[in-house]
Amino acid sequence: MRIVIAEDEPLLREGLALLLRAEGLEVAATTEDPSSFLAAVEKHEPDVAIVDVRMPPTHTDEGIVAAVEARRRRPELSVLVLSAYVEQAFATDLLAGGAARLGYLLKERVGRVEEFLEALHRVADGGTAIDPEVVGQLLTCTRPDSGLERLSTRERDVLAAMAEGLGNAAIAERMFVTEGAVHKHIRSIFAKLDLAPSDRADRRVTAVLRYLESEQRR
Amino acid sequence: MGGLGTALLALGALLSLLVVALTCVSGVGLLLVRNTLQIVRSTAGRERARLSRWGPEIIDPGPLPDDLKSLVRDPMVHRELGWVALHAVFGFVLGIFGLTLPLNAAQNVTYPLWFQAVDGSDGGPGLVWWPLRDLGDALLVGLTGLLWLALTIGFLPLMARAQAASGRWLLTPSGDVDLSLRVAQLAATRAAALDAHAAELRRIERSLHDGTQNRLVAVNVLLGAARRALNRNPDSAGEILERAQDATEQALAELRTVVRGILPPVLADRGLEGALSGLAGNSGVPCHLEVDVPGRCAISVEATAYFVVAEALTNVTKHSGASKATVTVRRDRDRLLLHIEDDGHGGADEISGSGIGGIRRRVEAYDGRLVLTSPPGGPTSMQVELPCGS
Repeated sequence: MRIVIAEDEPLLREGLALLLRAEGLEVAATTEDPSSFLAAVEKHEPDVAIVDVRMPPTHTDEGIVAAVEARRRRPELSVLVLSAYVEQAFATDLLAGGAARLGYLLKERVGRVEEFLEALHRVADGGTAIDPEVVGQLLTCTRPDSGLERLSTRERDVLAAMAEGLGNAAIAERMFVTEGAVHKHIRSIFAKLDLAPSDRADRRVTAVLRYLESEQRR
Repeated sequence: MGGLGTALLALGALLSLLVVALTCVSGVGLLLVRNTLQIVRSTAGRERARLSRWGPEIIDPGPLPDDLKSLVRDPMVHRELGWVALHAVFGFVLGIFGLTLPLNAAQNVTYPLWFQAVDGSDGGPGLVWWPLRDLGDALLVGLTGLLWLALTIGFLPLMARAQAASGRWLLTPSGDVDLSLRVAQLAATRAAALDAHAAELRRIERSLHDGTQNRLVAVNVLLGAARRALNRNPDSAGEILERAQDATEQALAELRTVVRGILPPVLADRGLEGALSGLAGNSGVPCHLEVDVPGRCAISVEATAYFVVAEALTNVTKHSGASKATVTVRRDRDRLLLHIEDDGHGGADEISGSGIGGIRRRVEAYDGRLVLTSPPGGPTSMQVELPCGS
């Protein structure tokens, strides 16, 4: 797996590269601002780009803009966006181009190396990784009369895991149940929320996130 | 002195008024009415600022009305025209007298010292009519000098007051206008103070986010990597842990800077001058400090000034190779002016990461200005201008 990193904080940039290289992954380039990042993406044609949200010059959402642009230029590129804090608006911007090959995680998740690598591989393989914090924000902000009321606690947990981008096997593992049980929960959720079921993980994420957004308290 | 200056300006304004008034007869001057009144307004503005420095503040009425009609009807414009005429004539004459009185006094008092250098046979300086032949005569002139001196001391304050009177009478807006102008001014300064406050919060948020938090994230990443390494390749774990420790130390240093930058406690205890003299005293190179700031500025502005001086002196100590530094802080109306100079080898720039970029960001957050001149070979001079917000 070939990776390009865009992160303006030198310590974190080098730390990430060190961690990934120790895992036997190829870090083709580390960059510190959006323009050199986009240039590196053109030059090295990486499989995955890891991008920080706040970068020079204004330290606001340069990373989001750069990630969207990189995905536009190379649709086959997987992008994992890291952020010091999660902002649902940023997630919405990112997801506008579809949830496939997309990750949006809090920076501190990198410290849980196994989970981080798992998310990285999932994104690289065409899947999705949305931070539980974002999903949590979406879940807690829904209106009291939304369809979510009709879900059991178990089903809500499965919904959250789906929204994070986990596949059925991963959900089963997290919840200590069989894949068959997960499948049953998912069918029930889709029926209760009136969503068209889909086995493709990224479509499922988009559907769930769109649903949650539409049910949000305004 | 300043009165004579504005009187000269008023004279100029009066002359241009006369010219415009004459050309108005032919119609051409009409085009210039606005410009001329603008000259009058800015001259009056200078006088208002001058009088505000010496006594109760006179509020500036702001820009002229837009259209010609209300311009011609504006009561403040009328009063300013009256003032220009008065000040150009009486203010000017008073100013000239005010200038000659002390000059005469100085000339005559010192006359015995230099009378031999000039030919005094056809009368001495000033109003001395008797022939001057020897030291006695010269001493007599010196005595008249003392008389001039007494006149100067006795009359100069009176003359200054008389000169100011026309301005105080005509340039002060009438009661309710004055009140509404004051409200507008207060609203503006209050908005500026709130803006400064928001800018300050933004700066703190940013330094916590982009500095401290990022370093803690790096520590976290490195610890994660170290844990992985322990299982697979324990030898490399030590090196990674060392990096993690470095990152922790950097995070702590960063946090200290952020906290100190929010509001140095010494500022509240001892005010700007006291806080700065503490900085100057602890500076690595001998530092001469001059502070002339009457009253206090907004606390966040003082904190910024403190931060600028602290960073600048750190730079001087670390990078300049200077043997001494000078810090001057003074207030010019609503601006706080800082000047930090050293006699080092110069060549400071913002790219080399000497903290000047940080200073600039902080100053600009307040709509301030920073000018850095540091030619190779030195000296380095940093000038910073901050709105006081009060």
